[in-house]
Amino acid sequence: MIAKTNKNLLIEMSVMGNVSQPNFPGLPSEPYKLDSNGSPFLLPTWGSITHNISVGDSAFGWEADCIHPGVSIKYENDNGNRGLNILSCIGNEAIIFSGEAKNSKGVVTGKSGRFSEQVIIHFPKKIREKIAINDKILIKSLGVGLKINNFKNIHCKSLSPILFEEMNIKIKNNKLLIPIKNSIPSHLIGAGAGLTSESGSIHIQTSDKNEVEKYNLKKLNLGDIVLIENYDSRYQHGYLQNSCGIAVIGQTDGPRSGYGPGLTLIMTGTYKEIQTKLYSEANIKKYLNLKE
Amino acid sequence: MKNLSIKSNSEKLIKMVIAGYVSQPSFRSPGYIPDNNGKSVIFPGMYGISNNIKVGDKAFGWAADHVEPGVSIDSPKNEEHHALHYLVCTGNKAIIRTGEAKGKVGIVTGEHARLLVHFEKKILNKICIGDQIDIISHGRGLKLSDFPNIELKKVSPKLLKSLNLKIKHNKLIVDAAIELPIKIMGSGAELNSEYVDQDLMSGDKKLIKKYKIDQMRLGDIIVIDHADHRWGRSYKKDYISIAICIHGDSVMTGHGPGIMTIMTGGKDSLSWKINKKANIANYLKIDK
Repeated sequence: MIAKTNKNLLIEMSVMGNVSQPNFPGLPSEPYKLDSNGSPFLLPTWGSITHNISVGDSAFGWEADCIHPGVSIKYENDNGNRGLNILSCIGNEAIIFSGEAKNSKGVVTGKSGRFSEQVIIHFPKKIREKIAINDKILIKSLGVGLKINNFKNIHCKSLSPILFEEMNIKIKNNKLLIPIKNSIPSHLIGAGAGLTSESGSIHIQTSDKNEVEKYNLKKLNLGDIVLIENYDSRYQHGYLQNSCGIAVIGQTDGPRSGYGPGLTLIMTGTYKEIQTKLYSEANIKKYLNLKE
Repeated sequence: MKNLSIKSNSEKLIKMVIAGYVSQPSFRSPGYIPDNNGKSVIFPGMYGISNNIKVGDKAFGWAADHVEPGVSIDSPKNEEHHALHYLVCTGNKAIIRTGEAKGKVGIVTGEHARLLVHFEKKILNKICIGDQIDIISHGRGLKLSDFPNIELKKVSPKLLKSLNLKIKHNKLIVDAAIELPIKIMGSGAELNSEYVDQDLMSGDKKLIKKYKIDQMRLGDIIVIDHADHRWGRSYKKDYISIAICIHGDSVMTGHGPGIMTIMTGGKDSLSWKINKKANIANYLKIDK
Protein backbone atom coordinates (compact mmCIF):
# COMPACT_ATOMS: atom_id res chain seq x y z
CA MET A 1 0.00 0.00 0.00
CA ILE A 2 1.21 3.51 -0.83
CA ALA A 3 1.54 6.06 1.99
CA LYS A 4 -0.55 9.21 1.58
CA THR A 5 0.05 12.68 3.00
CA ASN A 6 -1.64 16.02 3.72
CA LYS A 7 0.25 17.64 0.82
CA ASN A 8 -2.85 19.48 -0.43
CA LEU A 9 -2.92 21.51 2.79
CA LEU A 10 0.67 22.76 2.60
CA ILE A 11 1.72 26.33 1.80
CA GLU A 12 4.05 27.06 -1.08
CA MET A 13 6.07 30.13 -0.09
CA SER A 14 9.05 31.89 -1.66
CA VAL A 15 12.30 32.25 0.28
CA MET A 16 15.49 33.74 -1.05
CA GLY A 17 19.23 33.48 -0.61
CA ASN A 18 22.38 34.68 -2.34
CA VAL A 19 25.13 32.43 -3.62
CA SER A 20 27.64 32.43 -0.77
CA GLN A 21 31.35 33.18 -0.75
CA PRO A 22 33.71 30.70 0.99
CA ASN A 23 34.86 31.93 4.42
CA PHE A 24 38.14 31.34 6.25
CA PRO A 25 39.29 32.29 9.75
CA GLY A 26 41.50 35.36 10.18
CA LEU A 27 44.74 35.84 12.12
CA PRO A 28 46.38 34.40 14.14
CA SER A 29 45.42 30.86 13.06
CA GLU A 30 44.71 32.03 9.52
CA PRO A 31 43.92 30.21 7.30
CA TYR A 32 44.17 26.76 8.91
CA LYS A 33 41.70 24.50 10.59
CA LEU A 34 42.65 21.44 12.66
CA ASP A 35 42.17 17.83 11.71
CA SER A 36 41.31 15.16 14.27
CA ASN A 37 45.01 14.53 14.93
CA GLY A 38 45.72 18.17 15.66
CA SER A 39 47.47 18.95 12.39
CA PRO A 40 46.59 22.17 10.62
CA PHE A 41 45.01 21.66 7.22
CA LEU A 42 43.97 23.92 4.39
CA LEU A 43 41.30 22.59 2.04
CA PRO A 44 38.29 23.95 0.19
CA THR A 45 35.28 24.02 2.47
CA TRP A 46 31.53 24.74 2.49
CA GLY A 47 29.74 27.41 0.47
CA SER A 48 30.09 28.80 -3.04
CA ILE A 49 29.59 27.00 -6.36
CA THR A 50 31.25 23.60 -6.52
CA HIS A 51 31.72 22.82 -10.18
CA ASN A 52 32.98 19.27 -10.08
CA ILE A 53 31.07 17.63 -7.23
CA SER A 54 27.41 16.76 -7.55
CA VAL A 55 24.74 14.75 -5.78
CA GLY A 56 25.39 11.12 -6.70
CA ASP A 57 29.18 11.44 -6.37
CA SER A 58 31.08 9.78 -3.52
CA ALA A 59 30.80 11.42 -0.10
CA PHE A 60 34.33 10.23 0.73
CA GLY A 61 37.84 10.65 -0.58
CA TRP A 62 37.83 14.27 -1.75
CA GLU A 63 40.49 16.74 -0.68
CA ALA A 64 37.77 18.71 1.02
CA ASP A 65 36.18 19.68 4.33
CA CYS A 66 32.42 19.05 4.29
CA ILE A 67 32.02 20.34 0.72
CA HIS A 68 28.53 21.12 -0.54
CA PRO A 69 27.76 19.75 -4.00
CA GLY A 70 26.40 22.27 -6.50
CA VAL A 71 25.46 25.73 -5.23
CA SER A 72 25.13 27.03 -1.65
CA ILE A 73 23.03 30.01 -0.69
CA LYS A 74 22.52 32.13 2.41
CA TYR A 75 20.42 35.18 3.30
CA GLU A 76 22.22 38.25 4.60
CA ASN A 77 20.54 38.63 8.00
CA ASP A 78 20.33 35.87 10.60
CA ASN A 79 16.56 35.69 11.08
CA GLY A 80 15.91 35.82 7.35
CA ASN A 81 18.49 33.09 6.92
CA ARG A 82 16.67 30.98 9.50
CA GLY A 83 13.54 31.43 7.40
CA LEU A 84 15.41 30.25 4.32
CA ASN A 85 16.90 27.30 6.22
CA ILE A 86 13.75 26.13 7.94
CA LEU A 87 11.28 26.45 5.08
CA SER A 88 13.45 25.02 2.29
CA CYS A 89 12.82 21.32 1.76
CA ILE A 90 14.71 18.71 -0.21
CA GLY A 91 13.08 18.47 -3.62
CA ASN A 92 11.92 22.13 -3.73
CA GLU A 93 12.37 24.04 -6.95
CA ALA A 94 14.99 26.82 -7.01
CA ILE A 95 14.94 29.60 -9.60
CA ILE A 96 17.81 31.99 -10.34
CA PHE A 97 16.60 35.60 -10.28
CA SER A 98 19.71 37.57 -11.24
CA GLY A 99 22.88 37.28 -13.32
CA GLU A 100 23.80 35.30 -16.41
CA ALA A 101 21.91 32.19 -15.36
CA LYS A 102 18.67 34.05 -14.67
CA ASN A 103 15.53 31.88 -14.94
CA SER A 104 17.51 28.61 -14.74
CA LYS A 105 15.98 26.04 -12.42
CA GLY A 106 17.55 23.83 -9.80
CA VAL A 107 16.50 21.56 -6.92
CA VAL A 108 17.20 21.78 -3.15
CA THR A 109 19.32 18.78 -2.05
CA GLY A 110 20.38 19.56 1.52
CA LYS A 111 21.15 22.00 4.32
CA SER A 112 24.12 22.75 6.52
CA GLY A 113 24.29 23.45 10.25
CA ARG A 114 25.96 25.59 12.94
CA PHE A 115 28.75 27.91 11.67
CA SER A 116 27.58 27.48 8.06
CA GLU A 117 23.76 27.51 7.82
CA GLN A 118 23.33 27.30 4.08
CA VAL A 119 20.88 25.68 1.70
CA ILE A 120 22.42 23.40 -0.93
CA ILE A 121 20.98 23.38 -4.46
CA HIS A 122 21.67 21.20 -7.46
CA PHE A 123 22.05 22.82 -10.87
CA PRO A 124 23.35 21.03 -13.97
CA LYS A 125 27.08 21.68 -14.47
CA LYS A 126 26.54 23.82 -17.57
CA ILE A 127 24.32 26.19 -15.61
CA ARG A 128 26.85 26.35 -12.74
CA GLU A 129 29.32 27.91 -15.20
CA LYS A 130 27.05 30.95 -15.50
CA ILE A 131 26.30 31.44 -11.80
CA ALA A 132 28.17 34.15 -9.87
CA ILE A 133 28.71 34.69 -6.16
CA ASN A 134 25.85 36.80 -4.75
CA ASP A 135 23.38 35.80 -7.48
CA LYS A 136 19.85 35.75 -6.11
CA ILE A 137 18.16 32.36 -5.93
CA LEU A 138 14.52 31.98 -4.97
CA ILE A 139 13.18 28.73 -3.56
CA LYS A 140 9.53 27.85 -3.79
CA SER A 141 9.47 26.26 -0.37
CA LEU A 142 6.93 23.52 0.19
CA GLY A 143 6.97 20.78 2.80
CA VAL A 144 6.98 22.27 6.30
CA GLY A 145 3.85 20.85 7.96
CA LEU A 146 3.94 17.63 5.94
CA LYS A 147 2.25 14.73 7.73
CA ILE A 148 1.80 11.14 6.70
CA ASN A 149 -1.78 9.86 6.97
CA ASN A 150 -2.18 7.30 9.79
CA PHE A 151 1.41 7.87 11.00
CA LYS A 152 0.94 10.86 13.26
CA ASN A 153 4.02 10.05 15.33
CA ILE A 154 6.36 10.28 12.39
CA HIS A 155 7.66 13.84 12.05
CA CYS A 156 8.70 15.01 8.59
CA LYS A 157 11.26 17.80 8.25
CA SER A 158 12.95 19.42 5.26
CA LEU A 159 10.98 16.95 3.16
CA SER A 160 8.99 18.04 0.10
CA PRO A 161 5.95 15.97 -0.90
CA ILE A 162 7.68 15.43 -4.26
CA LEU A 163 10.62 13.63 -2.67
CA PHE A 164 8.38 11.70 -0.27
CA GLU A 165 6.35 10.33 -3.17
CA GLU A 166 9.44 9.29 -5.13
CA MET A 167 11.09 7.37 -2.28
CA ASN A 168 9.14 4.14 -2.94
CA ILE A 169 7.77 4.11 0.58
CA LYS A 170 5.22 1.36 1.18
CA ILE A 171 3.02 0.49 4.12
CA LYS A 172 3.62 -3.04 5.35
CA ASN A 173 2.37 -4.53 8.64
CA ASN A 174 1.27 -1.04 9.73
CA LYS A 175 4.81 0.27 9.34
CA LEU A 176 6.33 2.55 6.78
CA LEU A 177 8.83 0.52 4.79
CA ILE A 178 11.54 2.91 3.63
CA PRO A 179 14.33 1.94 1.21
CA ILE A 180 17.76 3.09 2.49
CA LYS A 181 21.34 2.79 1.32
CA ASN A 182 22.89 2.16 4.76
CA SER A 183 22.50 2.48 8.55
CA ILE A 184 24.54 4.74 10.80
CA PRO A 185 25.01 3.57 14.43
CA SER A 186 24.41 6.22 17.10
CA HIS A 187 28.00 6.25 18.39
CA LEU A 188 29.15 7.47 14.98
CA ILE A 189 26.85 10.50 15.04
CA GLY A 190 28.81 13.62 15.94
CA ALA A 191 28.40 17.33 15.26
CA GLY A 192 24.77 18.42 15.25
CA ALA A 193 23.60 16.48 18.32
CA GLY A 194 21.59 18.87 20.48
CA LEU A 195 21.19 21.33 17.61
CA THR A 196 18.08 22.00 15.58
CA SER A 197 16.62 19.20 13.49
CA GLU A 198 14.50 21.63 11.48
CA SER A 199 17.25 23.25 9.48
CA GLY A 200 20.87 22.26 10.05
CA SER A 201 22.88 19.15 9.39
CA ILE A 202 23.92 16.32 11.68
CA HIS A 203 27.22 14.66 10.82
CA ILE A 204 28.50 11.12 10.64
CA GLN A 205 31.86 11.25 12.46
CA THR A 206 34.76 9.57 10.73
CA SER A 207 37.90 10.13 12.85
CA ASP A 208 38.00 6.42 13.73
CA LYS A 209 38.87 4.91 10.35
CA ASN A 210 38.38 1.33 11.59
CA GLU A 211 34.75 2.08 12.46
CA VAL A 212 34.22 3.69 9.05
CA GLU A 213 35.49 0.45 7.53
CA LYS A 214 33.46 -1.76 9.88
CA TYR A 215 30.14 -0.12 8.98
CA ASN A 216 31.01 0.09 5.29
CA LEU A 217 30.48 3.84 5.22
CA LYS A 218 32.96 4.61 2.45
CA LYS A 219 30.50 3.37 -0.15
CA LEU A 220 28.15 6.25 0.70
CA ASN A 221 27.36 8.82 -1.96
CA LEU A 222 26.02 12.34 -1.77
CA GLY A 223 22.24 12.12 -1.93
CA ASP A 224 22.02 8.66 -0.36
CA ILE A 225 19.09 8.00 1.99
CA VAL A 226 20.32 6.54 5.29
CA LEU A 227 18.93 5.41 8.63
CA ILE A 228 20.21 7.02 11.86
CA GLU A 229 19.85 4.34 14.54
CA ASN A 230 18.50 5.11 18.04
CA TYR A 231 18.21 8.85 17.53
CA ASP A 232 15.20 11.05 18.26
CA SER A 233 15.06 14.13 16.04
CA ARG A 234 11.55 15.40 16.76
CA TYR A 235 12.84 18.43 18.63
CA GLN A 236 16.60 18.70 17.96
CA HIS A 237 18.78 15.61 17.58
CA GLY A 238 19.57 13.29 20.50
CA TYR A 239 20.15 9.67 21.52
CA LEU A 240 17.00 7.68 22.32
CA GLN A 241 16.82 3.93 22.11
CA ASN A 242 14.17 2.64 19.68
CA SER A 243 13.84 5.99 17.93
CA CYS A 244 15.32 6.50 14.51
CA GLY A 245 15.74 9.01 11.74
CA ILE A 246 15.80 8.97 7.96
CA ALA A 247 18.27 11.41 6.42
CA VAL A 248 19.87 12.45 3.14
CA ILE A 249 23.64 12.82 2.77
CA GLY A 250 24.02 16.49 1.91
CA GLN A 251 27.76 17.21 2.08
CA THR A 252 31.08 15.34 1.95
CA ASP A 253 33.40 13.96 4.59
CA GLY A 254 35.98 16.23 6.20
CA PRO A 255 39.07 15.90 8.42
CA ARG A 256 37.79 17.74 11.53
CA SER A 257 37.05 15.87 14.74
CA GLY A 258 33.31 15.16 15.12
CA TYR A 259 32.67 15.90 11.47
CA GLY A 260 32.19 13.66 8.46
CA PRO A 261 29.49 13.57 5.81
CA GLY A 262 26.57 15.82 6.79
CA LEU A 263 23.00 14.56 6.94
CA THR A 264 19.78 16.48 6.41
CA LEU A 265 17.08 14.80 8.46
CA ILE A 266 13.81 14.19 6.62
CA MET A 267 11.84 11.87 8.93
CA THR A 268 11.98 10.78 12.56
CA GLY A 269 9.92 8.31 14.55
CA THR A 270 10.28 4.97 16.29
CA TYR A 271 10.90 1.44 15.09
CA LYS A 272 7.23 0.77 15.87
CA GLU A 273 6.33 2.77 12.78
CA ILE A 274 9.49 2.88 10.70
CA GLN A 275 11.07 -0.12 9.04
CA THR A 276 13.83 0.07 6.47
CA LYS A 277 15.17 -2.16 3.75
CA LEU A 278 18.49 -1.90 1.98
CA TYR A 279 18.26 -0.64 -1.57
CA SER A 280 21.44 0.19 -3.48
CA GLU A 281 19.76 2.96 -5.48
CA ALA A 282 18.18 4.84 -2.57
CA ASN A 283 19.54 8.22 -3.65
CA ILE A 284 17.82 11.53 -4.36
CA LYS A 285 19.69 11.90 -7.66
CA LYS A 286 17.49 9.11 -9.00
CA TYR A 287 14.37 10.09 -7.06
CA LEU A 288 14.47 13.77 -8.09
CA ASN A 289 15.85 13.06 -11.54
CA LEU A 290 18.80 15.44 -11.11
CA LYS A 291 20.49 16.19 -14.43
CA GLU A 292 24.27 16.19 -14.88
CA MET B 1 49.93 1.45 43.12
CA LYS B 2 52.45 4.25 43.46
CA ASN B 3 51.35 7.58 44.82
CA LEU B 4 54.35 9.54 43.62
CA SER B 5 54.04 13.20 43.06
CA ILE B 6 53.13 13.55 39.43
CA LYS B 7 55.79 15.54 37.63
CA SER B 8 54.76 18.46 35.46
CA ASN B 9 56.13 21.62 33.88
CA SER B 10 54.10 23.84 36.25
CA GLU B 11 57.09 26.05 37.12
CA LYS B 12 57.30 27.10 33.45
CA LEU B 13 53.74 28.41 33.22
CA ILE B 14 52.64 32.02 33.03
CA LYS B 15 50.26 33.61 35.51
CA MET B 16 48.28 36.22 33.64
CA VAL B 17 45.32 38.28 34.78
CA ILE B 18 42.18 38.43 32.68
CA ALA B 19 38.94 40.20 33.56
CA GLY B 20 35.36 39.04 33.17
CA TYR B 21 32.10 40.68 34.20
CA VAL B 22 29.18 39.13 36.07
CA SER B 23 26.59 38.25 33.42
CA GLN B 24 22.88 39.05 33.31
CA PRO B 25 20.40 36.22 32.55
CA SER B 26 19.25 36.54 28.92
CA PHE B 27 16.38 35.09 26.93
CA ARG B 28 15.26 35.23 23.35
CA SER B 29 11.60 36.09 22.86
CA PRO B 30 9.29 34.19 23.32
CA GLY B 31 11.56 32.27 25.73
CA TYR B 32 10.03 28.84 25.31
CA ILE B 33 12.20 25.83 24.61
CA PRO B 34 10.77 22.43 23.62
CA ASP B 35 11.52 19.62 26.06
CA ASN B 36 12.29 16.04 24.99
CA ASN B 37 8.62 15.41 24.27
CA GLY B 38 7.86 18.69 22.58
CA LYS B 39 6.29 20.44 25.55
CA SER B 40 7.26 24.11 25.65
CA VAL B 41 8.84 25.32 28.88
CA ILE B 42 10.66 28.34 30.29
CA PHE B 43 13.34 27.75 32.93
CA PRO B 44 16.09 29.77 34.56
CA GLY B 45 19.57 28.39 34.12
CA MET B 46 22.36 29.92 32.16
CA TYR B 47 24.16 33.16 33.07
CA GLY B 48 23.93 35.28 36.20
CA ILE B 49 24.48 34.44 39.84
CA SER B 50 22.97 31.18 41.10
CA ASN B 51 22.54 31.92 44.78
CA ASN B 52 21.42 28.44 45.77
CA ILE B 53 23.30 26.14 43.37
CA LYS B 54 26.95 25.39 43.91
CA VAL B 55 29.58 22.87 42.91
CA GLY B 56 28.94 19.64 44.82
CA ASP B 57 25.15 19.93 44.44
CA LYS B 58 23.12 17.55 42.28
CA ALA B 59 23.29 17.93 38.50
CA PHE B 60 19.77 16.52 37.98
CA GLY B 61 16.37 17.38 39.32
CA TRP B 62 16.39 21.19 39.46
CA ALA B 63 13.60 23.24 37.90
CA ALA B 64 16.24 24.68 35.61
CA ASP B 65 17.88 24.27 32.24
CA HIS B 66 21.69 24.18 31.94
CA VAL B 67 21.98 25.70 35.42
CA GLU B 68 25.44 27.12 36.11
CA PRO B 69 26.63 26.94 39.74
CA GLY B 70 27.90 30.12 41.38
CA VAL B 71 28.75 33.22 39.38
CA SER B 72 28.91 33.22 35.56
CA ILE B 73 31.25 35.80 34.07
CA ASP B 74 32.01 36.79 30.50
CA SER B 75 33.19 39.73 28.42
CA PRO B 76 30.97 41.38 25.81
CA LYS B 77 34.01 41.75 23.53
CA ASN B 78 34.41 38.69 21.31
CA GLU B 79 38.23 38.57 21.56
CA GLU B 80 38.13 38.87 25.36
CA HIS B 81 35.42 36.20 25.52
CA HIS B 82 37.74 33.79 23.72
CA ALA B 83 40.76 34.81 25.80
CA LEU B 84 38.74 33.95 28.94
CA HIS B 85 37.89 30.56 27.47
CA TYR B 86 41.39 29.74 26.28
CA LEU B 87 43.42 30.98 29.28
CA VAL B 88 41.34 30.39 32.40
CA CYS B 89 41.77 27.02 34.14
CA THR B 90 39.82 25.17 36.80
CA GLY B 91 41.16 26.03 40.25
CA ASN B 92 42.36 29.53 39.28
CA LYS B 93 42.01 32.32 41.80
CA ALA B 94 39.31 34.95 41.15
CA ILE B 95 39.38 38.42 42.73
CA ILE B 96 36.40 40.79 42.72
CA ARG B 97 37.63 44.24 41.61
CA THR B 98 34.51 46.41 41.73
CA GLY B 99 31.33 46.81 43.76
CA GLU B 100 30.29 45.86 47.28
CA ALA B 101 32.31 42.65 47.32
CA LYS B 102 35.53 44.29 46.12
CA GLY B 103 38.64 42.40 47.20
CA LYS B 104 36.85 39.12 47.93
CA VAL B 105 38.38 35.94 46.54
CA GLY B 106 36.75 32.98 44.79
CA ILE B 107 37.82 30.01 42.68
CA VAL B 108 37.16 29.00 39.07
CA THR B 109 35.17 25.75 38.90
CA GLY B 110 34.96 25.38 35.12
CA GLU B 111 33.49 26.93 32.04
CA HIS B 112 30.28 26.73 30.10
CA ALA B 113 29.37 29.44 27.59
CA ARG B 114 30.67 31.67 30.38
CA LEU B 115 33.34 31.12 33.04
CA LEU B 116 32.04 29.75 36.34
CA VAL B 117 33.37 31.07 39.64
CA HIS B 118 32.56 29.88 43.16
CA PHE B 119 32.28 32.32 46.07
CA GLU B 120 31.13 31.76 49.63
CA LYS B 121 27.43 32.34 50.06
CA LYS B 122 27.82 35.48 52.19
CA ILE B 123 29.94 37.00 49.39
CA LEU B 124 27.39 36.04 46.71
CA ASN B 125 24.84 38.34 48.34
CA LYS B 126 27.09 41.32 47.73
CA ILE B 127 27.89 40.64 44.07
CA CYS B 128 26.07 42.71 41.46
CA ILE B 129 25.53 42.06 37.75
CA GLY B 130 28.33 43.78 35.85
CA ASP B 131 30.92 43.59 38.66
CA GLN B 132 34.44 43.02 37.36
CA ILE B 133 36.11 39.80 38.43
CA ASP B 134 39.79 39.28 37.59
CA ILE B 135 41.06 35.74 37.14
CA ILE B 136 44.71 34.96 37.70
CA SER B 137 44.87 32.49 34.83
CA HIS B 138 47.41 29.72 35.35
CA GLY B 139 47.55 26.32 33.64
CA ARG B 140 47.53 26.87 29.87
CA GLY B 141 50.50 24.83 28.56
CA LEU B 142 50.55 22.43 31.51
CA LYS B 143 52.06 19.05 30.63
CA LEU B 144 52.83 15.87 32.52
CA SER B 145 56.57 15.18 32.25
CA ASP B 146 56.20 11.39 32.24
CA PHE B 147 53.04 11.25 30.10
CA PRO B 148 53.69 13.31 26.98
CA ASN B 149 50.71 11.77 25.17
CA ILE B 150 48.16 12.81 27.78
CA GLU B 151 46.68 16.18 26.92
CA LEU B 152 45.58 18.44 29.77
CA LYS B 153 42.94 21.10 29.28
CA LYS B 154 41.89 23.85 31.69
CA VAL B 155 43.73 22.17 34.56
CA SER B 156 45.52 24.54 36.93
CA PRO B 157 48.59 23.24 38.76
CA LYS B 158 46.47 23.58 41.91
CA LEU B 159 43.78 21.23 40.55
CA LEU B 160 46.42 18.83 39.20
CA LYS B 161 47.98 18.47 42.64
CA SER B 162 44.63 17.83 44.29
CA LEU B 163 43.33 15.19 41.86
CA ASN B 164 44.75 12.21 43.77
CA LEU B 165 46.42 10.86 40.62
CA LYS B 166 48.19 7.52 40.82
CA ILE B 167 50.53 5.59 38.56
CA LYS B 168 49.99 1.88 38.00
CA HIS B 169 51.74 -0.24 35.36
CA ASN B 170 53.05 2.97 33.81
CA LYS B 171 49.54 4.33 33.37
CA LEU B 172 48.12 7.42 34.96
CA ILE B 173 45.05 6.48 37.03
CA VAL B 174 42.40 9.15 37.59
CA ASP B 175 39.57 8.77 40.09
CA ALA B 176 36.19 9.29 38.41
CA ALA B 177 32.73 9.37 40.01
CA ILE B 178 30.80 8.14 36.96
CA GLU B 179 31.51 6.54 33.59
CA LEU B 180 29.46 7.80 30.64
CA PRO B 181 28.79 5.69 27.53
CA ILE B 182 30.08 7.39 24.37
CA LYS B 183 26.77 6.98 22.54
CA ILE B 184 25.08 9.58 24.76
CA MET B 185 27.66 12.32 24.16
CA GLY B 186 25.78 15.09 22.38
CA SER B 187 25.76 18.84 21.88
CA GLY B 188 29.29 20.20 21.72
CA ALA B 189 30.61 17.67 19.20
CA GLU B 190 30.65 20.58 16.75
CA LEU B 191 33.03 22.68 18.90
CA ASN B 192 36.77 22.53 19.43
CA SER B 193 37.58 20.90 22.74
CA GLU B 194 39.39 23.94 24.16
CA TYR B 195 36.06 25.76 24.14
CA VAL B 196 33.19 25.26 26.59
CA ASP B 197 31.80 21.75 27.13
CA GLN B 198 29.90 18.82 25.68
CA ASP B 199 26.48 17.80 27.02
CA LEU B 200 25.65 14.22 27.82
CA MET B 201 22.24 13.48 26.31
CA SER B 202 19.82 12.79 29.14
CA GLY B 203 16.77 12.21 26.93
CA ASP B 204 16.86 8.42 27.26
CA LYS B 205 15.65 8.33 30.87
CA LYS B 206 15.87 4.52 31.12
CA LEU B 207 19.51 4.56 30.17
CA ILE B 208 20.28 7.45 32.53
CA LYS B 209 18.69 5.53 35.40
CA LYS B 210 20.31 2.21 34.47
CA TYR B 211 23.81 3.67 34.58
CA LYS B 212 22.96 5.80 37.65
CA ILE B 213 23.97 8.89 35.73
CA ASP B 214 21.13 10.72 37.50
CA GLN B 215 23.26 10.57 40.66
CA MET B 216 25.78 12.90 39.05
CA ARG B 217 26.84 16.00 40.93
CA LEU B 218 28.14 19.33 39.73
CA GLY B 219 31.92 19.12 40.00
CA ASP B 220 32.06 15.34 39.55
CA ILE B 221 35.04 14.00 37.66
CA ILE B 222 33.63 11.74 34.95
CA VAL B 223 35.20 9.43 32.38
CA ILE B 224 34.16 8.54 28.82
CA ASP B 225 35.65 5.45 27.23
CA HIS B 226 36.38 5.60 23.47
CA ALA B 227 36.26 9.41 23.41
CA ASP B 228 39.09 11.41 21.87
CA HIS B 229 38.97 15.02 23.06
CA ARG B 230 42.39 16.13 21.86
CA TRP B 231 41.30 18.38 18.98
CA GLY B 232 37.54 18.32 19.05
CA ARG B 233 35.33 15.69 20.61
CA SER B 234 34.86 12.47 18.69
CA TYR B 235 34.50 8.70 18.87
CA LYS B 236 37.84 6.93 18.86
CA LYS B 237 38.30 3.41 20.13
CA ASP B 238 40.81 3.06 22.97
CA TYR B 239 40.95 6.77 23.72
CA ILE B 240 39.80 8.03 27.10
CA SER B 241 38.57 11.45 28.10
CA ILE B 242 38.25 12.76 31.65
CA ALA B 243 35.98 15.73 32.32
CA ILE B 244 34.27 17.76 35.05
CA CYS B 245 30.49 18.11 35.27
CA ILE B 246 30.03 21.87 35.05
CA HIS B 247 26.32 22.56 34.54
CA GLY B 248 22.99 20.97 35.37
CA ASP B 249 20.59 18.88 33.32
CA SER B 250 18.57 20.17 30.38
CA VAL B 251 15.12 19.35 29.06
CA MET B 252 16.25 19.75 25.46
CA THR B 253 16.89 16.80 23.17
CA GLY B 254 20.62 16.23 22.65
CA HIS B 255 21.39 18.11 25.87
CA GLY B 256 21.88 17.30 29.53
CA PRO B 257 24.51 18.06 32.17
CA GLY B 258 27.65 19.53 30.59
CA ILE B 259 31.06 18.00 30.94
CA MET B 260 34.25 19.99 30.41
CA THR B 261 37.32 18.10 29.24
CA ILE B 262 40.37 18.15 31.52
CA MET B 263 42.37 15.18 30.25
CA THR B 264 42.46 13.01 27.17
CA GLY B 265 44.77 10.31 25.90
CA GLY B 266 45.15 6.72 24.77
CA LYS B 267 44.41 3.65 26.85
CA ASP B 268 48.11 2.80 26.85
CA SER B 269 48.85 5.73 29.17
CA LEU B 270 45.56 6.76 30.81
CA SER B 271 43.03 4.85 32.91
CA TRP B 272 40.52 5.41 35.70
CA LYS B 273 39.15 4.06 38.94
CA ILE B 274 35.57 4.66 40.07
CA ASN B 275 35.44 6.71 43.27
CA LYS B 276 32.12 8.34 44.11
CA LYS B 277 33.89 11.13 45.99
CA ALA B 278 35.82 12.27 42.92
CA ASN B 279 34.42 15.79 42.86
CA ILE B 280 36.25 19.11 42.68
CA ALA B 281 34.26 20.38 45.66
CA ASN B 282 36.26 17.86 47.68
CA TYR B 283 39.53 18.34 45.82
CA LEU B 284 39.53 22.13 45.90
CA LYS B 285 37.96 22.23 49.39
CA ILE B 286 35.08 24.32 48.16
CA ASP B 287 33.24 25.32 51.31
CA LYS B 288 29.57 24.58 51.64
